[in-house]
Amino acid sequence: MEYKVSLGPQHPALHEAVSLRMTLDGEVIRDADLKLGYSHRGIEKLAEERSYIQNIYLTERICGICSHSHTTCFTQGVEQLMELVPARRGLFIRTLIAELERVHSHLLWLGVAGQEAGFESFFMYTWRDREVVLDILEWISGNRVHYAMNIFGGVRRDIDELQRKKILDSLDLLKKRTDYYLNLAASEPTFVGRLAGVGKLSREDAIALCAVGPTLRASGIASDVRKDDPYAVYGEIPFEVATADSCDVLGRAVVRVKELISSYAMIEFLLKNLPEGPFKVKAPRKVKPNEVYSRYEAPRGENVHYIKSNGSDKPERLKVRAPTLANYPATIAMLKKGFIADIPLIFAAIDPCICCAERLVQLDDARRGDSRVLSFSQLRSMANERAKKIDFKKRKIAWPF
Amino acid sequence: MNPEAMLEKINAEAGDKVQEAAISAPRRIQLKAQPRQLKPLLAYLKETFGLAHLGTISGVDLGENFEVIYHLSNADSTVNVRILTPRRDPKIPSVCPLIPGAVLYERELQDMFGLVVEDIPDPRRLLLCDDWPEGQYPLRKDWKFERPAEIIPGGK
Repeated sequence: MEYKVSLGPQHPALHEAVSLRMTLDGEVIRDADLKLGYSHRGIEKLAEERSYIQNIYLTERICGICSHSHTTCFTQGVEQLMELVPARRGLFIRTLIAELERVHSHLLWLGVAGQEAGFESFFMYTWRDREVVLDILEWISGNRVHYAMNIFGGVRRDIDELQRKKILDSLDLLKKRTDYYLNLAASEPTFVGRLAGVGKLSREDAIALCAVGPTLRASGIASDVRKDDPYAVYGEIPFEVATADSCDVLGRAVVRVKELISSYAMIEFLLKNLPEGPFKVKAPRKVKPNEVYSRYEAPRGENVHYIKSNGSDKPERLKVRAPTLANYPATIAMLKKGFIADIPLIFAAIDPCICCAERLVQLDDARRGDSRVLSFSQLRSMANERAKKIDFKKRKIAWPF
Repeated sequence: MNPEAMLEKINAEAGDKVQEAAISAPRRIQLKAQPRQLKPLLAYLKETFGLAHLGTISGVDLGENFEVIYHLSNADSTVNVRILTPRRDPKIPSVCPLIPGAVLYERELQDMFGLVVEDIPDPRRLLLCDDWPEGQYPLRKDWKFERPAEIIPGGK
C-alpha cells in the first residue's frame, strides 16, 4: 500500500524553504520529489542593474553561512575580467577568511548531525566551540556573518600582529576540542551506528547526478576545486583532499572532520607565511566585454559564478549556482529506499544550515483516508526510537579513524 | 591531460562537431557547436576526457539569439560548450540521457528564458511560483519588473 507524504516548505535543516513530496510504502520511501522556489529572490536579474561594486554586497547576501564563498567567487571572476592582479597579502587574508568560514560551517554541521542523530550534547559542545571561530571572524572583519571582506584587488581590512597571535592561540583550543570530538565519536557506538549505512549514494550515482563537495567526496571521489582548479593561494598551500569510501552519512561526517583538521593546518600555514606589503590595489570601475567562469570550493561544495561583461560598469549577466542546488538530485537518490525517520539525517548531511525551529509534516494514511500532522519534534522522537532499536553490538561498526 | 593537449585532441578527433575551439584562460577551454551536434559532442567529451561533471548551464539573452553554455569539468580543466538558438524558435536538446544531473538546470532555463528543452524528463516549473503568468520569462532582457500598484484594503 503506497501513500504520499509532503514535507515542508518550512524545513529545519535547510535555510531555504523547500517542499518534499514522498511516495511511501509503509516506512520506506519509494519515490521523492522536490519543489523549489519558495525563497527565489531574483538576485540574477537584480545584479544586471547594479554596478560591480554594489554586486559584491548583493552576492554576499545570497547565503548566510557561506557569505564569503559567494563574494570571493564573484570577486575573483571580476578581477579576471578586469585583468587585475590582486595584492598578495590580500589574497592570503581572503584565503584565511575562507578557511575560517569552512571551520565554522563544518562545526555547525557536526552539531546538526549530532542533533539529528539524537546526540544533543554533541550539538551543544560543537556550537559552543563555533563561537570561538565566530569571535575570530569578528576580530578580523567586524562582523560575525556578513564579513564584507572582499573588494576588487584585495581585501577591505588588514590583520595586525596582535590579531595574528590571538588567532593562533584560539586555534590551539579548537584543535584540542576537535581531537576530543574524534575520541568521543569513536567511543560512542550509538552515534556511529546511527550514521552508518544511512543515505547511500554510490560512486556512479554521485558522478552521474553531478553531486559536489563533501557529498561527492564521501562517495570516494577526490574532487576538490581547491586542488583541481586552484584559486587565491591554494596552489601554494600543502593539503590533502579528504575522502571516504562508505558512501553514507557517516562518510560525510568523516570527510568534514578531516577537512576541519586540514583547515586548521591551512590557517596556521597562512598566518605563519603572511607576506608583507599592501593588502589591496586600486581597481578600475569599468570592465571590458568578456566572460568568465569562476569556481570556488565552498564548505558545501563547488560554487559557480558565470559573469559576462559588456564594457559598462554593470555586468551583462551573472549566473550563480550554489552547491545545494547541485546536491538536490543526489539527495533524491539518497532518500529512495530510505526510512522516514532518516529524512532529517539525510537532508542535514548535504547542507549544514539550520535556521527554523518547527516543521509540519502531513501524513496521509491511504488505508484509512485520514491525515494527521506531526511536528518536527515528534518526527525526531520517531528517529530516536528507531535508533534505540538498532543492535549496535551485532553490527560491529567502528569509527573509521 | 593538460588543456593544450586536450584542445589538440578535440580538434583532431571531433573537428566536425565543433565550430570554434580556443583556450580563453588557464584551465578553461571554449567550444562552440551547432545545437544538433551538442549531444554527440558531450558524449564524446564524457567518453574521452571523463568530462561528466556539469557545473551548471548558463543562458544568456543576446537579442536575436539565446546563448546556452554547458560548463563541464574534470580534474584538470573546465570546458565551456556553447550553442546558439534563435529567439523565434528557442529549442535546445535535453542532455539528461547523458548527464542525469542536468535536469534542474534545464528546468531553470525553461522557467527563466522560455527555452523549449526537447525530451526533458521533467518539464514542470522549477523556481517560478504556480500562479506566475504564462509567457513571462524574467531573465530575458526585454522583461522588466513592474511593481503592481499597492491596494490598501479599506483605504482610499
